[in-house]
Amino acid sequence: MQDNKLISTFKQNAIWLVFFIEIAIFAYFNPKFLSIPNIVNISRQVSYYGIASIGMTFVILIAGIDLSIGSIIALVNVVCAYLMMNMGWNMWLAILVSILMAILIGVLNGWMVASIGIPAIIATFASQTIFRGCAYLLSGGLPIPGVVLENPTFGFFARWSLNRWELFKGMGQVGLIPICAIIMVLCFAIGSFILNKSYFGRYFYAIGGNEEASELSGIRVNKMKYLIYALSGFFAGLAGIVLLSRSGSAQSTAAIGFEFEVITCVVLGGVSVAGGIGHMSGVIAGVLIIGSLKSGMIMMNVSEYTQMVVQGLVLAVAVGIDCFSKKRQAS
Amino acid sequence: MYEIHESLTGYYAELEPGKRLEILEALPEVEGVDVSFLHELYHDRYSDHEGKGRKNVDWWLWRSICLQQLCSRGGFFKRFRKREVDAILGELRMDVHHELRTDDTHPELRTHNTTHTAYLYHEYRNVARRYLSTCRSGNYASRFMGFRQASDDEKALRACRDVWEMSRGIAKSEGVEERMRVWCEAFRDEVFEYDAVCREEYMRLDNQ
Repeated sequence: MQDNKLISTFKQNAIWLVFFIEIAIFAYFNPKFLSIPNIVNISRQVSYYGIASIGMTFVILIAGIDLSIGSIIALVNVVCAYLMMNMGWNMWLAILVSILMAILIGVLNGWMVASIGIPAIIATFASQTIFRGCAYLLSGGLPIPGVVLENPTFGFFARWSLNRWELFKGMGQVGLIPICAIIMVLCFAIGSFILNKSYFGRYFYAIGGNEEASELSGIRVNKMKYLIYALSGFFAGLAGIVLLSRSGSAQSTAAIGFEFEVITCVVLGGVSVAGGIGHMSGVIAGVLIIGSLKSGMIMMNVSEYTQMVVQGLVLAVAVGIDCFSKKRQAS
Repeated sequence: MYEIHESLTGYYAELEPGKRLEILEALPEVEGVDVSFLHELYHDRYSDHEGKGRKNVDWWLWRSICLQQLCSRGGFFKRFRKREVDAILGELRMDVHHELRTDDTHPELRTHNTTHTAYLYHEYRNVARRYLSTCRSGNYASRFMGFRQASDDEKALRACRDVWEMSRGIAKSEGVEERMRVWCEAFRDEVFEYDAVCREEYMRLDNQ
């Protein structure tokens, strides 16, 4: 029994071992990998992956998927910039409206999945196409530049939050920690609280484990699905704002293929695509592994195309391990 | 061992709460059948303990799902987990079995007799049966977001694992086997009847 507990604890935390081995390998080949500027840079890079991965974790836990988050990010980028730059809206109001729109898109996804009964992969793929198209329509396919420079309020937000640190050194960080990383940590804390300490977390696991039994036990499964997709939209919207304040320019082409990277982080972190299994701590490890992998490959001068191949392989291996363990458990 | 009056067989065989209530209310006055206790159990099981005013709640089924989650997910804070398991066992009336009625160390516990324990055993079996009735659905144990459905054997094995986790699994990991004895027996007996592959799988899990 004690041995089983040890094995199970090891299995649950094996992902962190992978992370540390990865760090050791990159540090061995390039000692600058562990330098403080690089660690700060990685934490900045992973921040929006991390934020978006929280919503995706909830969705995958109920055996769903959300392929629309990349498009939500692009649309939030464009809408927020458009409202501020073309319509002269106040920064906070523009952010609020953009995030509300992201939540509404999530609700729409929830409606298609829960009420109409379209498979999640198809429903969110349709949303992905629709809202990417909306982003192109609104921006005319062109970037909306100068969000930071031309709008003093948003410029302040960018300086306050993210990486205008070359221009406004120290203002985007608290000590050595970038504010966007702090936002990510706060989001992870909220996500972790929802999963582990609230009834909603229980409901998410229960729906993923056995939807019909959850329904019989009194959980309003459809309402929960609406909520989960809305949360996914919210976190994607927030990630979009973080990305916008980093880049200072809204692009309708932003975050193309982003959903697959987020899915990789989540599945790599041990969240089962079959639903009902997973921990937020594993997702944090998954996000850090992907962030370090990208940074490490860049530092080792690995080409962008090769990076794509490696990321695809990581996703395939992560899902493969999940399926293999399920198959072994079943046989 | 847990014998009940034959007039109650239909009541315990039914899974639908509405129909169960109809049967319960139509039960004839028979000597040896404590109808008021059955009503008490019924309302305990099917009322919304969260106070959200929901209808069609099967609180005991929900708590058994919670037990399964606590077993399979483990927990970082062991103390909180223990406290929660303790609360769930209390809600499922696992501290009121007749064996404890003379136990002076538990004066707060209600006195129960063997008949009440038999009622509880059959109610627990009904909970297990209701859970297992959902395990034949198309979505259950499916993979790739429902695109690949599980075979009947896969579903049965997964159902067996679920039932084991919500009974023996959590009892063993929390060291509350004696307190959960009736619950575990009820779930074991039910899963053994559910599918031929379950007996072997249950024993394998239990001997792990």
